[in-house]
Amino acid sequence: MSDILVKMNKINKSFFGVKANNNIDFVLKKGEIHALLGENGAGKTTLMNILTGVYQQDSGNIEFDGKPLELNFPGEALQKGIGMVHQRLSLVGNLTILENIILGLPSNKIWLNMKERKEFIMKYAKKFDFNLDWDTRCDQVPIGVRQKAEILKMLVRDVEVLIVDEPTTVLTKQEADNLLDTFKKIAATGKGVIFITHKMPEVFKVADTITVMRKGEKIGTIATDKVEPMKLSVMMVGEKEAIIFDRKKTNSSQNTILVENLTVGNVVPTVNNVSFSIKKGEILGIAGVTGNGQHDLMESIMGIKPYKSGKITFNEKDITDCSVKERIDAGISYIPSDRVNVGVAGNRPIWENSVSKVYRKNAYQKRRFLKIGKLKNYTDVNILEKYDVLHPGLNFPAILLSGGNLQKIIIGREIEAGSDLFICSYPTRGLDVGATDFVRKALLELRNKGKSVLLISSDFDELFGLADNLAVMYEGKFTGQFKNGDYDISEIGLMMSGTYQKDLDKEKESC
Amino acid sequence: MIKLKLIQKERVNTQMDVGISIIAICIAFIICGIIVAIQGVNPLDALWVSVDTTLFNAYGLSEVLVKATPLIFCGLAVGIALTSKVWNIGAEGQLYMGAMFATAVVMHLPTMPTFIQLTVMIIAGGIGGAFWALIPAVLKIRFKVDEIITTLLLNYVAIYLVDHLIFGIWKNEDNYPFTPEFPVQARLPLLGFERVHFGIILAVIATIVIFLLIKYSSWGYKVRLTGASTQSAKYSGINVKKIMFSIFIVSGILAGLAGVSEVAGVQYKLQHQLSMGFGFTGIIVAWLARANPIGIVIYSLFMSAVITSSEMLEMLMGLPASMGTIAQGIILFAILGSEIFKSYNIKVIIKEKK
Repeated sequence: MSDILVKMNKINKSFFGVKANNNIDFVLKKGEIHALLGENGAGKTTLMNILTGVYQQDSGNIEFDGKPLELNFPGEALQKGIGMVHQRLSLVGNLTILENIILGLPSNKIWLNMKERKEFIMKYAKKFDFNLDWDTRCDQVPIGVRQKAEILKMLVRDVEVLIVDEPTTVLTKQEADNLLDTFKKIAATGKGVIFITHKMPEVFKVADTITVMRKGEKIGTIATDKVEPMKLSVMMVGEKEAIIFDRKKTNSSQNTILVENLTVGNVVPTVNNVSFSIKKGEILGIAGVTGNGQHDLMESIMGIKPYKSGKITFNEKDITDCSVKERIDAGISYIPSDRVNVGVAGNRPIWENSVSKVYRKNAYQKRRFLKIGKLKNYTDVNILEKYDVLHPGLNFPAILLSGGNLQKIIIGREIEAGSDLFICSYPTRGLDVGATDFVRKALLELRNKGKSVLLISSDFDELFGLADNLAVMYEGKFTGQFKNGDYDISEIGLMMSGTYQKDLDKEKESC
Repeated sequence: MIKLKLIQKERVNTQMDVGISIIAICIAFIICGIIVAIQGVNPLDALWVSVDTTLFNAYGLSEVLVKATPLIFCGLAVGIALTSKVWNIGAEGQLYMGAMFATAVVMHLPTMPTFIQLTVMIIAGGIGGAFWALIPAVLKIRFKVDEIITTLLLNYVAIYLVDHLIFGIWKNEDNYPFTPEFPVQARLPLLGFERVHFGIILAVIATIVIFLLIKYSSWGYKVRLTGASTQSAKYSGINVKKIMFSIFIVSGILAGLAGVSEVAGVQYKLQHQLSMGFGFTGIIVAWLARANPIGIVIYSLFMSAVITSSEMLEMLMGLPASMGTIAQGIILFAILGSEIFKSYNIKVIIKEKK
C-alpha cells in the first residue's frame, strides 16, 4: 500500500479572470505534517478549499487514498475524511465546548445521552492529549482553546487529513507552541496534517515537508531538513530588501495622552489601575497575550466602553467623560484589528467607508445633505490614489478588497483626519509582507511627524522595530513599562505570563 | 441518478434578476390557479376577471390606488427601519394609533377650516404612530429588549385600544361600534377618480422625501452605516442609539400617516378592523423591494392589485376573499425562493447508476 494520502494534479482555479491556482501539484503522505507556506493571496487557502469541496477546480484532478475524489457539496469532504479548520472559527458561541464538538456528529442519536457523548469525546481527547473546559460556553474561553476545540471536532469525525488555516495568527507564543505539539501528536497516529501559514519559525518547528506558493504558482516542495531559512524566505517572497526602520530622534516633553489609574469592568476588572502617557512623536507598544485587557483598554480610551474609575487627559484636556464623537474630533483615531466589521462596514461601498471621518465637515455638507460628488472625489484623490489602493471601483462594497488594500483605506482615512493619537490594534494581522511594510512605514512616519501612536501587537518584530517604549499587559495590569531595548524577549515573555518588572530587577540584582 | 448542483454566479445581472422575479410571480400565479381550480372555478376565467377588473376597469384601477396608499406608507415604515437593521413588525399597530390620534382631533377639538383641520390631523396621526414606536424604541435602546417581539405584541394592544374607544366613549349615537362620520373639513379631498384621495399624493411625497433622505442626507449616510455594521458606525463616532431612536420615530410617523390616510381618506370614521392588515403586508412589500423606496411603490401597487382582484373574484365568481391573502403568501414564497437563482446557477448532473 502506498503511503500517499492526497494527490492533487495540475489544479487550476481562477476568480474573475485572476488565476488563484496555476497548475498546482500537491502530495500529502500519511503521518506527515506538510506546511503550505506563502504570503497572503498566494493561493494557499484556495487550494485547500478545492480539496475540501468549497470551490470546484476549473481543471485538474484529485486523488484521495488512491481513489479519485469527487465532491459535490462542501460537507462531503468531511464525510470522506478531509477536515479543515478555517481561519475564522465556526463554533457556536452560546453552546458549550462539548456541545460544539458533538454538534452534527453522525453518531448522535435522536435522544442525546450527554454522559455517553462526553465519554465518546474523551476517548479522542485522551488519545491526542486535549484538555479543555468541556462545559464552558465557547464565547467565554480564549481563542486558543476555541481553536483546539475546532481541531478536536475534526478529529472526532475520524478525519484522515486535517487542514489548518493560519492557526497561530491569533495565538500567543505559548498557545502556538502548544498547538504545534498537538499537530505532532496527530501526525504520529498516521494522519496527514496540512498547515497553512506564513510564519517560517513554526514551519521549521513542526513541518516535515514544505510547499511554497507565490502568486498562485507553486514555487517548490522540499523536505524541511534540507533547506535553510534564508533560502526558504527567498522562495516565499522573492528577492527583497530587508526593512530598515529609520527614526528621527524626538525629544518632546509634551504629553499627547495621559492615562491615570484607569479601571474598566465592574465585577472583574478587565483593565486594572493602568497608568501611562505617550509623548508627541512617540510610539508606545503594548505587548501581551491576546485577551489580557488590551481590547477594553482601547475601547475605553475611544469612549466606547464605560470606565469604572480613572482619568484620561488628551492634549491637556480632560476627556474622561467625552463621547466617541468628541474624542474623534479632539484628535483620536482608531485602527481596529477587525477590519471588515469594525474598521469598515463591509457591505457598504468603498467611498462611503472612506469618508466616515470627513463627511461631517461643512465642506462636504449643505444643509445636512451630503455633497456626494465631492465626497467621491475626496475618496478618489485623497484616499485611493494617495495611498495606492488597488480597487475595482469606488461604488463596490469594501468587503471585495484584499486585507492589505482595506487596511490602506482605513489607515489613509485616519491619517487624513489629522488626528494626534493613533490607536492601532494588531495593524498588520493577516497582511502580506508588502502591506505589512506599508503599515509599519506609515506608523513610523506618523511618529516622525510628531504624532503619537499606541500600538497593540503580538508580533515582536513589530514591537521591537517600531516602539519607543513598551508596556506589558497581563490580566488587565501593566506588569512592566520600560524603554524599548531595556529588556530582552525572554524577560518580556516572563512579564507576559505575570512576573512583575520589579521582581525581575530584584532577581537580576541578586544574581 | 439525477443530482442538482449549485454553482455561484460570477456576476450578478440586474436584467436577469428582474426576469427571474417575473418568472417567480408567474409560478406563484400558476399555484394560485391550481387552488382556484380546486374551488371549482376555471383558473383562466379567474385570471381574466382579475386582470380585467383591476387594470381595464376604472373602478378597479382606482381601488388599486386606494389600497396602495396605506401600503406605501407601511412599506416605507418597515423599509426605512430595515435599512438600519431594525425590524418594525408593528406598522399595523402604529397605523391604528395614527388613526386613533387623528380621530381624537375630530372628536375632541372644534372643527377647523379644511386645510388647518387636515394639517392638525396629519400631525396628530404622525405623533400617534411615533408614540407607539417610541415604546419599543426605548425598550430596545435602554433595556435591550428585542424589537421584533415588542412591536409585534403592541399591534394587538393598539387594535384593542381602538376597539375600547369605539365600543366606549366614541361610540356612535345609534350604538353602532364606530365613531360618527367625520365632517367634510376632516376628509382628505378626492382627486376626482372614484375613491382615490389626496393620501396617494402624500404617499408619493413621503416616498420622494425618504428616498432623498436615505440617499443624500448625512442622516441617511449614518443610517446606512449603522445598518451595515453597528460596530463600525460606533467607532466612526456615530451615536448608534440616537440613530436607532430616530429610525423608530420616523418609521412610526410613516405608519401613523397610513392610519390618517385610511380614516380621513377612505372610511371617514374610526371603526373596528379599520386596516386590512396593511401593516403586515407592508413587511412583505418592504422585504420584496429590499427597502428601496421606489421598489416599495411598485410592489405596493402590485400587492394592492392582488388584494383588489381577490375582492372582485369574491364578488363576481364566488371565491373566498382569503384567496388574496393566500396569493400574497404564495408570491412572497415564490420570490424569496427565486433569490437563489439570482446568485447561483443550477447544474443538473445525470449519473448512470452502477
